[in-house]
Amino acid sequence: MEVGRLPISTSRRGKLLSAGYTTLASLCSASPSDLARDIEVSEGEAIEILKIASHTSRLDGSNGSLAAVNVGAQTAWDMLHEEEFSARITTSCLDLDNILGGGISPKEVTEIGGVPGIGKTQLGIQLAVNVQIPIHCGGLGGKAVYIDTEGSFMVERALQIAEACVEDISEYSARLRKDFQVDQVKMHPNNILENIFYFRTCSYTEQIALVNYLEKFITEHKEVKVVILDSVTFHFRQDFGDMALRTRLLGGMALKLMKLTKKFNLAVVLLNQVTTKHTEGSFQLTLALGDSWSHSCTNRVILYWNGNERCAYIDKSPSLKSASAPYSVTSRGIRNSASSCKRIKMM
Amino acid sequence: MTPENLLRPPLTTQKCTLGCETLDRCLGGGIPCNSLTELVAESGCGKTQLCLQLVLSAQLPLTHHGLSGSSLYIHTEFPFPFRRLQQLSYSFRSLYPQFFGNNDPCDHIFIKGVDTADQLLDIMPKIESILLHSRSRLPIRLIVIDSIAALFRSEFENTSLDLKRRSLLFFKISGKLKSLAKRFSLAVVVTNQVVDLIGASEGINGLRIGNLGCLYTSGRRVCPALGLAWANCVNSRLFLSIKEEAVGQENGLVDDGGGVYQCRRTRRTLHVVFAPHLPESSCEFVIKGEGVFGVET
Repeated sequence: MEVGRLPISTSRRGKLLSAGYTTLASLCSASPSDLARDIEVSEGEAIEILKIASHTSRLDGSNGSLAAVNVGAQTAWDMLHEEEFSARITTSCLDLDNILGGGISPKEVTEIGGVPGIGKTQLGIQLAVNVQIPIHCGGLGGKAVYIDTEGSFMVERALQIAEACVEDISEYSARLRKDFQVDQVKMHPNNILENIFYFRTCSYTEQIALVNYLEKFITEHKEVKVVILDSVTFHFRQDFGDMALRTRLLGGMALKLMKLTKKFNLAVVLLNQVTTKHTEGSFQLTLALGDSWSHSCTNRVILYWNGNERCAYIDKSPSLKSASAPYSVTSRGIRNSASSCKRIKMM
Repeated sequence: MTPENLLRPPLTTQKCTLGCETLDRCLGGGIPCNSLTELVAESGCGKTQLCLQLVLSAQLPLTHHGLSGSSLYIHTEFPFPFRRLQQLSYSFRSLYPQFFGNNDPCDHIFIKGVDTADQLLDIMPKIESILLHSRSRLPIRLIVIDSIAALFRSEFENTSLDLKRRSLLFFKISGKLKSLAKRFSLAVVVTNQVVDLIGASEGINGLRIGNLGCLYTSGRRVCPALGLAWANCVNSRLFLSIKEEAVGQENGLVDDGGGVYQCRRTRRTLHVVFAPHLPESSCEFVIKGEGVFGVET
């Protein structure tokens, strides 16, 4: 706790921490009036606190790298613990969650690709809804940013999926309530839609500008726990004579997104298209954007048809073993495949 | 917020009716705005019929599920079927006399012929300025391109360089169309042809895209022209199929002397191959003098 080291009164420190200002960086970026409102002090006092904070952070910086390392370093043991306790975003398909180690992992960039009509957008919408499952139901209780580059986000479909999700949640909490009485705030599908921040970009310039702006946007909306980019590919397949430029732009964008995952502890999901790769006279299906791009994402999931069944395959992941699982797209959203007649897990 | 926004229920994308309730039901209300819808079929299936009907029904007021807009029809196959459009517009006018008194619905359909893909890209800025500065009574709300495949028929060879050049053009055209669709909340409809699948069905052309394992029309296995790259460019894909059926056996009409007297019937079906907002579904339809109509099954 960086804020814990500030030379201010204990009660103030407590107020700061409970208002969510845990790092010096978060404190320094706050305006005096915001701070005054958040911790209920006068604006003059808030300015005083900010002065101390900025002084301390400057000291940290001038003290050289040692201090920075001490503040920034985290042991692998702590990281393991953190990972165990951090909730994942469920896909609403138990089989898919199982191979993903419980769902889409926060703090990581996950790429999902597949042929048109396989359900990429459906999965994107499902995640934007599921990230809002309240914490007491095992969710993240967050909000979603949905960046639509193709124009495939359909609000009526999002509503359908949200309605099904609300039904599942109320069924789940009804079952919980047998044990202890909790008065839950009823979730409403419209609220779920309100918590999806939708952006539509019509060119790659807009797309890059938006990714650059995201950091500011999420600083103002800290509840955002997932960023979905549907699809990362579309504008980059249009008119790039200069492939080196494309690679640089994509690489820069991937780095920005990765930084977001770390800084705000959120998941980034990139949807990608497939293309054919010409090798030694034969054609092969592969995700678009080329080989160098394939290094940009932490996890890579490929969706494909297996006969009449939709399947997902983990193509690349540092922590998951490669495996595949069937899933299906139903009117209620992504669910277990009908053929794997298991009981659908709640949440 | 415009008055139109207040009129329609807030939680659905605006749709343009196809001019037939049964077909609309199959498509969740019609052709969605801000979106690119592809109509795939072999020749003679009814792609153009459906498009002609669409440019008429787009002029219906919002209360009748139209877009209350005029439309732009870009045709790449010559000649444009003016006769048929006129025929349809007569029956359309008599169906809705209250909206069209003395106005000819054809006055709100702008037609442009295009030969090549480059020409299509060249007229895009012009289309944009028409959309911006149009003074017509009804704003343009629908663009039809019939057909996109014809633009790419002759110019490109089957080499990997040409294929690459071709797919760059796909993404350019689609990117431009989608951004116009978004800016002016247009419905965009593009028709596409099919190619026959010959030989092994396992090849790259046999790749399954969408709800239907394989597409059959007139008893042949086909796949949409322009390949995987183009499939990535559209938001929804609809497929029209034809099936010739011998009828009459059950009526005892078939003459047992070798089937000389045989009655054949054409069954046409509309399938949803993929669409972000629609489940897998299909609907049978017929083409009559007055237009295209869905058949309740």
